[in-house]
Amino acid sequence: MMKISRITGAAVLAASLISLNGCKNTSGTIVNTDHLTGSSMIITENARLAHRVEVLNTTYDEVNGLKRVHITLASDRNKRLRIDYRICWFDANGMEIDPQTKTYRNLILEGHDAVTVTGVANSPAAVSSKLRVRETSQAE
Amino acid sequence: MKKSDFVLCLIGCAALLSGCATTVKEVPLDRTAATTKIEPQDIRRTVEKMTESLLVAPGVKEFVSNRRPVLDVEPMQNRTTQHVDMISLTDSVRMQLLRSGMFRFVDRSSVGTAANDVERINQENQLGLVDPSKAVKAGQQTALDMYLTGALSEIKNVEGRVTDQYYKFSMILKDLKTGEIVWADEQEIRKEKTKPVLGW
Repeated sequence: MMKISRITGAAVLAASLISLNGCKNTSGTIVNTDHLTGSSMIITENARLAHRVEVLNTTYDEVNGLKRVHITLASDRNKRLRIDYRICWFDANGMEIDPQTKTYRNLILEGHDAVTVTGVANSPAAVSSKLRVRETSQAE
Repeated sequence: MKKSDFVLCLIGCAALLSGCATTVKEVPLDRTAATTKIEPQDIRRTVEKMTESLLVAPGVKEFVSNRRPVLDVEPMQNRTTQHVDMISLTDSVRMQLLRSGMFRFVDRSSVGTAANDVERINQENQLGLVDPSKAVKAGQQTALDMYLTGALSEIKNVEGRVTDQYYKFSMILKDLKTGEIVWADEQEIRKEKTKPVLGW
């Protein structure tokens, strides 16, 4: 009887692990930048990621008539950290411009390293940008 | 067997058996790497990086400051051992540059395009349906200012169970008049695959 209980316990544990695997938190950190006023807002939706990656600095400029944003991300961990980031752009009406052309890019941050990521608007109509950071392990 | 054990066993078996069914679902366009081959997300990231780099290049600035230069995008060369649809990649680069509004485009590089254009013009005029004063005559197409070209190359190393695959997309923008390279950039991708100790 004891043996059967152990088997059922193991089966339930395995099933629970399989079920929990699908419950990944895909939220992350968001940096909204308004290129007309110069204001930036950092939104942290994922406490785990916020403790690992810090947004140090946001600057912006304009090149060839296109807005450009530079955001410095720093790792608070000693180990190597893999994250994905995506910078998308919005027009004056708040509509996202060509959302499918802006992809999630990989970024490998070494322990306590800081890296500046850059995004260029895909249209002169862009007036604000949004950086979204997520953990690579949560991408699937 | 106790009733509770039976219920637990049933739940466990149901959860495990659910993994045996074939599932189809839509997935995000940008996934994590699944193989060491070139994957859709690699193409997408390369196209985005290359177009962003080109649009803000200092060399491009003087060409686009007071006009929209005419550009042709040649299909990139595939120097790797695997099949990669380079025409699709070229189309994506053209589409993103076109949407920036900084360039005008012609398509001279695609196989048969020039011949098709001539054939269409002749066909239109020969049918006798077109007003002769409004008929399009050959020899009036826009001249090319610059062309974009590039290549994809690879280095592959296999060491025991570990496969190290390196890819490099390189692109150049050339001024047709002077022959100068106005812009050039590269996108490097490196992937590693480790085979399990057991299995193949």
